[in-house]
Amino acid sequence: MLEGIRDAVRKFLGGTTSYDVAVDEFIKDLQKALISSDVQVKLVFSLTNKIKERLKKESPPTSLERREWFIKIVYDELSSLFGGDKEPEVNPGSLPYVIMLVGVQGTGKTTTAGKLAYFYKKRGYKVALVGADVYRPAALEQLMQLGKQIGVPVYGEPGEKDAVGIAKRGVEKLLSEKYELIIVDTAGRHGYGEEAKLLEEMKEIYESVKPNEVILVIDASLGQKAYDLAKRFHEASKVGSIIITKMDGTAKGGGALSAVVATGAPIKFIGTGEKIDELEVFNPKRFVARVLGMGDVEAIIEKI
Amino acid sequence: MSLEVTDMILEDLKRELIGRRVSRREDLESLVKNSLKRSLREILKKNYNETDLIRLIRDSNKPFIIIFFGVNGVGKTTTIAKFAWMLKRNGFSVIIAAADTFRAAAQEQLALHASKLDVPLVKGKYGGDPASVAYDAIQSAKSRRVDVVLIDTAGRMHTDKNLTEELKRVVKVAKPNMKILVLDSLAGQDALEQATYFEKIVGYDMVILTKVDADSKGGIVLSLAYKLNKPVGYVGIGQDYESLVKFDPEWFAERLLS
Ligand SMILES: Nc1nc2c(ncn2[C@@H]2O[C@H](COP(=O)(O)OP(=O)(O)OP(=O)(O)O)[C@@H](O)[C@H]2O)c(=O)[nH]1
Ligand SMILES: Nc1nc2c(ncn2[C@@H]2O[C@H](COP(=O)(O)OP(=O)(O)OP(=O)(O)O)[C@@H](O)[C@H]2O)c(=O)[nH]1
Ligand SMILES: [Mg+2]
Ligand SMILES: [Mg+2]
Repeated sequence: MLEGIRDAVRKFLGGTTSYDVAVDEFIKDLQKALISSDVQVKLVFSLTNKIKERLKKESPPTSLERREWFIKIVYDELSSLFGGDKEPEVNPGSLPYVIMLVGVQGTGKTTTAGKLAYFYKKRGYKVALVGADVYRPAALEQLMQLGKQIGVPVYGEPGEKDAVGIAKRGVEKLLSEKYELIIVDTAGRHGYGEEAKLLEEMKEIYESVKPNEVILVIDASLGQKAYDLAKRFHEASKVGSIIITKMDGTAKGGGALSAVVATGAPIKFIGTGEKIDELEVFNPKRFVARVLGMGDVEAIIEKI
Repeated sequence: MSLEVTDMILEDLKRELIGRRVSRREDLESLVKNSLKRSLREILKKNYNETDLIRLIRDSNKPFIIIFFGVNGVGKTTTIAKFAWMLKRNGFSVIIAAADTFRAAAQEQLALHASKLDVPLVKGKYGGDPASVAYDAIQSAKSRRVDVVLIDTAGRMHTDKNLTEELKRVVKVAKPNMKILVLDSLAGQDALEQATYFEKIVGYDMVILTKVDADSKGGIVLSLAYKLNKPVGYVGIGQDYESLVKFDPEWFAERLLS
């Protein structure tokens, strides 16, 4: 779907129609491609409006042709949505550091808890996990199997039904045992309708554990609902960063872009497979360049 | 909703409404609403299939074999547990094949469901061959005269060649009476790509949409109901066993407009 953007860039750069017509056409193509990649409609229009405004206000530097300059603006605006130039800081700012993973059912929280534990363990931190999902059958067992695989201890209370209590006792115990990085896995929830209680529970976990960072785990295939969902999570427990999972599928994470806007939180990692080491630090530039067509965009950036 | 479907609804509305004279405001509102509802209903009904699965199973040779597949985390295993519950309530005996031998605790997850539901389970070994788990379950169903075999499979992405081959093999060995594609209703346009992929590799007879409780407006449902040439059979509307309902276009059209 986002391939549509790449084609539009190519068409625009190589086109022979007048500049103004080409710009209009490109913006329409961009809007279509973004909407069919599940980026929220409102967001698409605010992005293209920003691009149009800059076109009016600024003028191209001498080193660039007008068309190239235009693509550079598109690139800038898209990149700044995804977190700008810098790679996210993934090392904890202070120690000990408590991370809480939240998200909708089945997005990959438990798997990602294992992946993060492995990632930080390799960086030399003393890591432990807490299993606070009391609903999904064998949720704790799943986390334990992952923990065992990477040699990271897991705190859990089999049979206990009070997720808030488990999280609180787990984090306290692990802190007293001098673990530096503690990752709390929680149950999947969306919080609508009957699940309002579950959102309340998440908030209680958040308030009693007081994590240094809440990470929202989002599935790359998530559609137009992404904005609303992310907003609800953010309101219940302040989201500090986002991980997009399942980037190895065909979905390119358009929904996740809406989540970034809804929370103002940066994307830190992407999941690229089911295995424990299939986690990458998110690189906004690379991501956007891929969206726009790597070669074309890089060539333009180099000219500046 | 995809642009294509949106365009179609708009076209329908234009065709019905342009040039019509309306005297009062209320009339206009109900006129638009009714036209819209008609259009939605038509889309939702396009591939709707009246056949009742329960009746179909009753009328078929036993064991009736159903395989479930889909990408990671959409709700396959949970849907199987819901299915087992529904089938038992309809008087069928059921056996489940835990042919996800890959994901951590996939076996234990299904084992807990099976014991809660009091349904026999044929387990596999982690790293073992899923096709042989399916095969064992079918043999066991035959010898114990069990009515329905439900085969759970590991989540797999359309980009993974090995897992694609694996699924083909399981289907070849199991020779299912029915192949069910499980899709997450929270997914966006990618759901269509998923459907295309599974259609290409093994084909499927019915779609089940999960997590519809998260999105009362049904998100992708309309696009799917329109664009897939397969019926949506059931929708998942919660995490407990009772939360699987037969898909009804009328009900859904109402829901979309409410
Ligand atoms: N292909 C792929 N699969 C992934 C990735 N991350 C997680 N998964 C798979 O997604 C499925 C769901 O993962 P879980 O970790 O159980 O998801 P969860 O969010 O903990 O689920 P709940 O606890 O039920 O809400 C599993 O099959 C994982 O193996 C990824 O980056 N790529
Ligand atoms: N709210 C809600 N949650 C659901 C529904 N169906 C499944 N889930 C939840 O989604 C999560 C993932 O479900 P699973 O059944 O493990 O998904 P799966 O497709 O078997 O996952 P993998 O085997 O890892 O690919 C669980 O937390 C389920 O409780 C539904 O209709 N509504
Ligand atoms: Mg989990
Ligand atoms: Mg499963």
